[in-house]
Amino acid sequence: MTCEGLNPMPQARAFRRKPDEVMRLARMGCSHPTRLSFLRQLLRRMQAEGWRFDRPVWEIDAKGVGRAVYRAIGPARSYSLVAFAHDLPPEARSDRVIATAWDATFALFDGTPTPADLDRLAANVPLQEAGRISPRELSLSRANRSVRLFDHVVERLATGAQPDAAMLLETGYLMRTTAVYGSGKFGAADRATIAQRPELSAPFQAEMLSVWLTRAFTVDLVEHLARARGGDLATRLAPELKRGLGVGNSTGLGMAPFLIRHPVLLNNWMLAREEALARVRAQTSVGQAELAGFLTALDEARTNADLWTSAHDIQRAKLADLRGSLVRLVAHVAQGWDQSAAHPWDDLWRWGQDTLTLEGQEALLAAMLEPHGALIDGLGDCMDADEEAHFPINGAMKVTELRAILQAHYGWAVGVDYTQRSQCARFWYVSEDKLEPRLGERHDEPGAEQELPLDTGRQAAALWQAIRDQPDDLPVAHLLLAAPEHRPAVRRAQITARHPFAEIRDNLIADDMLPIDILRCKLAFFGATRFDPRSDRWVRISLFQGTPYPGEMNGGGDEA
Amino acid sequence: MKHDPMTQATLALSLSEIAALSARATRGAGRSWGEAEETAEAACWLARAGLDWAGALLEVLQSPDAGAECALRAGIALADAAALSGTPPNIQFRVNSCCFLLPFAARMADQTGQRIRLTAADLQVVLAPGACPLIAGPVCISGLAQVTISPDPHNGTPCPDWPLTHRGTVLATEYARLTQFMMAFTVPASASSLAGAGAQGSDND
Repeated sequence: MTCEGLNPMPQARAFRRKPDEVMRLARMGCSHPTRLSFLRQLLRRMQAEGWRFDRPVWEIDAKGVGRAVYRAIGPARSYSLVAFAHDLPPEARSDRVIATAWDATFALFDGTPTPADLDRLAANVPLQEAGRISPRELSLSRANRSVRLFDHVVERLATGAQPDAAMLLETGYLMRTTAVYGSGKFGAADRATIAQRPELSAPFQAEMLSVWLTRAFTVDLVEHLARARGGDLATRLAPELKRGLGVGNSTGLGMAPFLIRHPVLLNNWMLAREEALARVRAQTSVGQAELAGFLTALDEARTNADLWTSAHDIQRAKLADLRGSLVRLVAHVAQGWDQSAAHPWDDLWRWGQDTLTLEGQEALLAAMLEPHGALIDGLGDCMDADEEAHFPINGAMKVTELRAILQAHYGWAVGVDYTQRSQCARFWYVSEDKLEPRLGERHDEPGAEQELPLDTGRQAAALWQAIRDQPDDLPVAHLLLAAPEHRPAVRRAQITARHPFAEIRDNLIADDMLPIDILRCKLAFFGATRFDPRSDRWVRISLFQGTPYPGEMNGGGDEA
Repeated sequence: MKHDPMTQATLALSLSEIAALSARATRGAGRSWGEAEETAEAACWLARAGLDWAGALLEVLQSPDAGAECALRAGIALADAAALSGTPPNIQFRVNSCCFLLPFAARMADQTGQRIRLTAADLQVVLAPGACPLIAGPVCISGLAQVTISPDPHNGTPCPDWPLTHRGTVLATEYARLTQFMMAFTVPASASSLAGAGAQGSDND
């Protein structure tokens, strides 16, 4: 859908950043979560609507093996996380998608499961990809313990003591999910079956709900094991320590092509965020409450940057950039920012653009959005997409118009020489073993003939060459009859003409392309923190750190 | 619940599974990416309409001649051209596996905003913009058939709404064949790729 016609602040348009600035991987790879991130949208809705939560099933033994059900009860429907806890030997623990056994496995059930549903799920969910779920399930996921921290917490709680706070801060989670599948995967309900429900219409709401309830399960599990071990001596995790725990997530190349294969969706995410920034920049004053909220957000950003660690060289450099930028930003806000300017937030933003690193600029964006909920939260309703509506190619479009689109939106692509080794060094493919996207080295590895069409820049350049000398009035339908190989590029160009933030404006097969930049952008939209790359193509992150637990929400519930 | 072609006669797939399998199988059968994207969309349309999407797709992919009589190619050309005239054409042609034309004829109806009638032997299908097809006669005709596409002169019987289900069934044998096509397009993951993806590490930290 488009919300353009409903825009209550058309004057903000003049403050929008251009796609050529925003859609570059170097900047996308510095994305920070904002209040428009999907997990924030989920928590706001549940809070506002007074959702209730309970735990109708807890059948976990003293070894931590069994099943549990966590239920979220909304005004119209309920959703249940069905959790299976397993006894996993250390040698079987792998956090990559190639693993075949996990410490815990989960499915998000649509409604309240019957005992028969639970038995069906027990026969399939622990198998993950090798099992099969049904349209009653909205997601399938699994998690492994962060062994060192998990054992430490159980041990301490069992003796009536609290775990070491520094250890908790360092890891930040008791378990990390290694895959959260939704949208029809492995037999689950298709996105279309739930997209019309208000509570799930924003992207990835079912998956976010699943992870948030998983977080409650991880804490319940350590407290349960501590009780089993320590009896009356055992204690529960202190609320302030508990609040600082999230759910870890380990993710890799599998999610990178998503943003390329869903251009309309990507556009809507980026456009919502950019419109939010533009609305804030268009403000003509700084309110007291907004200033206080902004300062708090900056303070939290600095704390987060201090706690955020990574062993990866690229990320360490970025963290240094971020910390340095935040120091400069805080100093400028205290002493240099002219809050009486005609557009004070724009004044601050322009200073940031001229002064801060990309990390700092994107952190400033997130902090500027934070105190402006009333102004921007409604944009969350514009972040879904009816992709089917944009699939058909407009065969009546004339070549002259197609040429103009390429000139306007693909300047970054058409000037590149893709015959150079460095510009075509990689190829994306689907792996034989897991049917997952992978990245190959074109000049060193076989398989390039099975390349996925993610070489968007090269395809656009080839299309440009193909139409340069064609008659202006040649319809696209006739062009594609003669040159069907350009069909994907024509479709993307037509989509981009209507959705200017649809395309990542970088060569996705170049030797210096970093898949983690794509991952960081997507994960920031999820609301992920502590982005910690382990290579240029897989990362660990944390979700829901610092957020309330089910029992702390407005509706409350029986938090175990 | 597992997909085991040895023990199950039919399998139920979600639309996203149908789309992924269809696109990859089409590519594995040697067709272009443009055709693979169209196939995924078309297979989902057929599944939503309760039609034999897998049988129709396999007939397209297994046809030795992917020329003018290929329903996929003919359908793509017709759908692309629909917006040129703004009105449905009145044409006759011969095509293999004419069932696979239906999603593209439906797109012609969408693009022109008018009802379209597709006739082949005893089959008559009316396609209205945005609606589920109105079908009379045996829908999936194998082999070569004479097809007529024309504006639907009767504005009488309304086309049904789309059902709320978002699934499709497939015979286990067809699933196995499509999977076979799909696997031809996959690549064995290299050791360096697995290492870079973290596959060789332990998770005991």
